[in-house]
Amino acid sequence: MSEAITIKFETSGGEQIEVQARPGVSVMEAAVMNNVGGIEAECGGACICATCHVYCDNLEDGTVGEMSSEEDDMLDMASAERRPTSRLSCQLRVSEKLKDAVFIIPENQF
Amino acid sequence: MSAVVIVGASHAGVQAAASLRQKGWQEGIVLLSAEGDYPYHRPPLSKAYIAGEKDEEQLLLRAPDFYRDQGIDLRLNEPALSIDPHARQVVTASGRLDYGKLVLATGSKARTLPLPGAEARGIHTLRSIADARHLRSSMQDAENIVIIGGGFIGLEFASTAVKQGKSVVVLEAQERLLTRALPERLSAFIGGYHTAKGAMFRYGALPERYTTTDDGRVSGVQLGDGTTLPADLVLVGVGGIADMALIEPLELKTIAGGIEVDAHGLTSAPDIYALGDVAAFHNAYANGAMRLESVQNAVDQAKSAAEHIAGGNAPLGAVPWFWTDQYDLKVQMAGLPRPGTTELLRGDPESGAFSILQMEGDRLVAAYSVNRAADHMASRKLIAAGQSIDQRMAADIDTPLMKAVAVAAVS
Ligand SMILES: Cc1cc2nc3c(=O)[nH]c(=O)nc-3n(C[C@H](O)[C@H](O)[C@H](O)COP(=O)(O)OP(=O)(O)OC[C@H]3O[C@@H](n4cnc5c(N)ncnc54)[C@H](O)[C@@H]3O)c2cc1C
Ligand code: FES
Repeated sequence: MSEAITIKFETSGGEQIEVQARPGVSVMEAAVMNNVGGIEAECGGACICATCHVYCDNLEDGTVGEMSSEEDDMLDMASAERRPTSRLSCQLRVSEKLKDAVFIIPENQF
Repeated sequence: MSAVVIVGASHAGVQAAASLRQKGWQEGIVLLSAEGDYPYHRPPLSKAYIAGEKDEEQLLLRAPDFYRDQGIDLRLNEPALSIDPHARQVVTASGRLDYGKLVLATGSKARTLPLPGAEARGIHTLRSIADARHLRSSMQDAENIVIIGGGFIGLEFASTAVKQGKSVVVLEAQERLLTRALPERLSAFIGGYHTAKGAMFRYGALPERYTTTDDGRVSGVQLGDGTTLPADLVLVGVGGIADMALIEPLELKTIAGGIEVDAHGLTSAPDIYALGDVAAFHNAYANGAMRLESVQNAVDQAKSAAEHIAGGNAPLGAVPWFWTDQYDLKVQMAGLPRPGTTELLRGDPESGAFSILQMEGDRLVAAYSVNRAADHMASRKLIAAGQSIDQRMAADIDTPLMKAVAVAAVS
């Protein structure tokens, strides 16, 4: 099995949570498996609920891969404010590139 | 003693427990599960999990620690055996649990077909992770797969089986797929898509019996017309039935095949709620009493009930939505079919991305989108708002669907 990768979540209260994630799972799944609160993921990654919204503020452009038009449309439905760094965490795969990335969790998901 | 006891730990039960804590509920929460696995997402069972694209850990609804951290007493493998409404207790193998509020979230069971030969090995239903594990390993060696029932689960499984190079025949009792759930144009499109990929369909076909090998494995499905389709694996996907095994002593009202509830998930008995697949209510979007088997319904109903139990008021009003993934088709539905609607086609089915809009007068009441997420999301908003829309603009794929309302509103 490939090495776990460290990624970080930041809660709306500013607390940072570091988790070990398996490459290949989604960032949403990494959050759920590690009991990180604030990512609801009601649809389980089907890209239809927009309750797995995160802000990828510290990532350079291109690190997390292009957004599908589907994700783009769904982000417009997210309950917290959409920002240029908004992504749906179920659409982001954990890989070496995400090492030490910080995903900021919005205050509310619905 | 005002603990909440929740019977059933899936989409509805787990959401109810989580939302109760979010709403500040301080008393005990016991969550009883008939299953041995930590609660998981059910939709991927017939999609990414069966296709081998996701493993079990990726299906978890919540991490195992979540329950402990939230003070939710999740008891796996401890089903409710009976309920004593007079003593206000739930009976399990380990004793009696007092409840202040009782939440029934027992979901649905797969309907089975009591045909001759039904006890043969190789005949499956798909409802739980245990079923999916079994089906996933059995399909590896299968060559000829017969799927009884052209519903969502059967079609999703068909798409995975075809992709794996199996021979797949789908038996559908009606003359078309998903008669009640989808407009005719969409079921024709989906059927055509499957056929082009290599699945075979038998419409109006009724299975009469299973043929079996000497060592008790299924070998075929015999139809009413006498033909026998070879099969080393059969999936029976003929719908779900609400699991109401426990309710008799509670004397609850039932309707439309489920436990009747109001917009708070409250049943006809005080302090007893029913949520998710097992509950039926008068749905304003369908204009009638019905049960909905969907994640959205389970989750939203659970939120409304948790709010009510915690002393608040957030009646269910969300627009129903549902999705199914087959091959590279993402089919998304918003609203519910109603009688007497007119239909608008938005986009060209040939292109593989289009929406069918069902209108009541100039109001949008339901939308079925294929690879058109933007239309789906716009429809959820438009159906909720109940606004008039400009039909000509709505039918124009080059105009964003949201625009169709903006113009109508000013004119
Ligand atoms: C294969 C499959 C694919 C699906 N795909 C989709 C989809 O793409 N989109 C969508 O929106 N919906 C989909 N659904 C439907 C969706 O999963 C259900 O609507 C949802 O699971 C309903 O949740 P629930 O909590 O009401 O009931 P269930 O998920 O049915 O769970 C009920 C739970 O209660 C337990 N239980 C029953 N009796 C007892 C007892 N006496 N004591 C303790 N526990 C008990 C059961 O074992 C079960 O674990 C799918 C369903 C299946 C099976
Ligand atoms: S989990 Fe539903 S959109 Fe990401």
